[in-house]
Amino acid sequence: MSSKLRKRENYLGWGFSSIYLIYTAIFWGYPFVWLVILSFSKWNFFGTPRPVGLKNFIRLFSDPIFWRIFLNTVNFMVYFIPMVLILSILFALALYRVNIFRTFFALSFLVANVSSGVAYSILFSNLFSESGPINSLLYKNFGFTIPWFSDPQLALLSIAIMVTWKFVGYYGLILFAGLNAIPKSLYEAAELDGATNWQKFWKITFPLINPALTTVLVFAVNLTFGIFTEPYMITGGGPMRRTLTFMMHIYTTAFQRMDPSYAASLAVITGLLSYGCVLLVRFLVEREVSLV
Amino acid sequence: MTKSQKRRFPFITFTLLFIGSIIWIYPYFWLLFSSFKPTSEIYTRFWPTKFTIEHYKFIFLMSDKLQRPFLRALLNSIFISVTITFSVIVSSAFFGFILSKVRFKGKKGVFNFILFQMLFPGFMFIVPLFVLIKTLGLLNTYSAIILPSIISAWGSFMFAQTFKSIPDDYIEAAKIDGANTFWIVTRVMFPLARSTASIVGLFTFIGAWDNFMWPLIVMKDYNKMPLSVLLASFNHEYSSYVGPILAGSVIQTIPMVLIFLIFRKYFLQGISVSLK
Repeated sequence: MSSKLRKRENYLGWGFSSIYLIYTAIFWGYPFVWLVILSFSKWNFFGTPRPVGLKNFIRLFSDPIFWRIFLNTVNFMVYFIPMVLILSILFALALYRVNIFRTFFALSFLVANVSSGVAYSILFSNLFSESGPINSLLYKNFGFTIPWFSDPQLALLSIAIMVTWKFVGYYGLILFAGLNAIPKSLYEAAELDGATNWQKFWKITFPLINPALTTVLVFAVNLTFGIFTEPYMITGGGPMRRTLTFMMHIYTTAFQRMDPSYAASLAVITGLLSYGCVLLVRFLVEREVSLV
Repeated sequence: MTKSQKRRFPFITFTLLFIGSIIWIYPYFWLLFSSFKPTSEIYTRFWPTKFTIEHYKFIFLMSDKLQRPFLRALLNSIFISVTITFSVIVSSAFFGFILSKVRFKGKKGVFNFILFQMLFPGFMFIVPLFVLIKTLGLLNTYSAIILPSIISAWGSFMFAQTFKSIPDDYIEAAKIDGANTFWIVTRVMFPLARSTASIVGLFTFIGAWDNFMWPLIVMKDYNKMPLSVLLASFNHEYSSYVGPILAGSVIQTIPMVLIFLIFRKYFLQGISVSLK
């Protein structure tokens, strides 16, 4: 009886698992193999791929556009990560202190996160446009305007501001959950010892929200490498290629310049870079947290 | 806690947070207001002299003549997102059940494979996935958008984790009553994992509705485009029609915001926050 039952469970398990595995073989495994083949070949969507060894990668590392994008990505992180991190920590701390209207505050920050990529790109490109409401407000009161998306240096910052707007609520609430997990008794003990708020933050809060902080940083790094919609919709990668991202370059290389093999090797390198960045963040930030 | 220890109400923090919230929702209100303003007042006035629905009329009645059928695109988006969400929830529930409650040889291997799969970011597969869809002859069909997303490793993982915490007694009891696997998953396990189902459904729906790059690549037929791509192409080619573009953005945003507000409890659970 028992062995019959076990056999039945075996059939059931493998029945469903094979559905999953077959589906995955088609829509994940097959593309995976193609990704590897393409990144070592020359192909233009027609005929059979011609193996070229490491040529794509050599071409890639000697391509000034690749290094431009690399710098753009670093530049974006330099703007985006401190901005989003400081604002979401402040948001989480403020939400922690205030105990009325919490749901209202959380929702009004979080609703930005469910804005659609295309719609919010249109929204911000209008809000920040030459004659848009923000510039006309500045002009009326201070007599100057800011070329948000047309200045090569500012354009990337403007995109970082948009993305920050979208993610502060989400990241802030992850940190808020981290704050809530800290036992209140620790603060009370510190208060008895006469600790100031500043000391309490740096000695208790900051070390103990480390897991939440690491999560947020990993999310932010992953997001940076996946940015596509905002520059595609607003700047088209310009001015002077300063807002060109890896995703945009993969898209234009594969589907406009018809060079999918080069795009595939670009995708591989982008994947490795983002993975390396995540490992680096974990190494630099993540600390073992224990309450003894 | 004695009275002297009880903190005063943090007025400054409260005020700053309140101002912050207003700044954060301001763009949404600007968008909503502007879509009802006469064209000449969109950039110049926050509160218009009169409200008008001409932009929405244009979007729904006139845009067909410009080869940009918005109403059709809205229905396409709803169809695509609902299909993907439904099939992800159902398939994930079954796979989650198998991976958590059924004993079979090699289960650990399958489970580890799912974890391994989640390591790879989706963007790496865009180009080769396009090759696959092209080989299958599915370009410019709904299937090109729907098929690659109907099964989710993440969703199956989420359900498996939830089901693990449900005692086996429920399943044993149902089996004694003669229930088959289908019945156990749909009538016994699923109702106990309603919040997981909501989280998986919510994130899947938002992901599908908001997906832009993939449909942009595989869909060139204006009649089958989801709203995100149609709106982008309209914005690109008719950028002087600011009013209708903003109205289109409102239409693109509203379903996500509504679903977010309805399921906010589960969204917050997804980030593991309780605001009580």
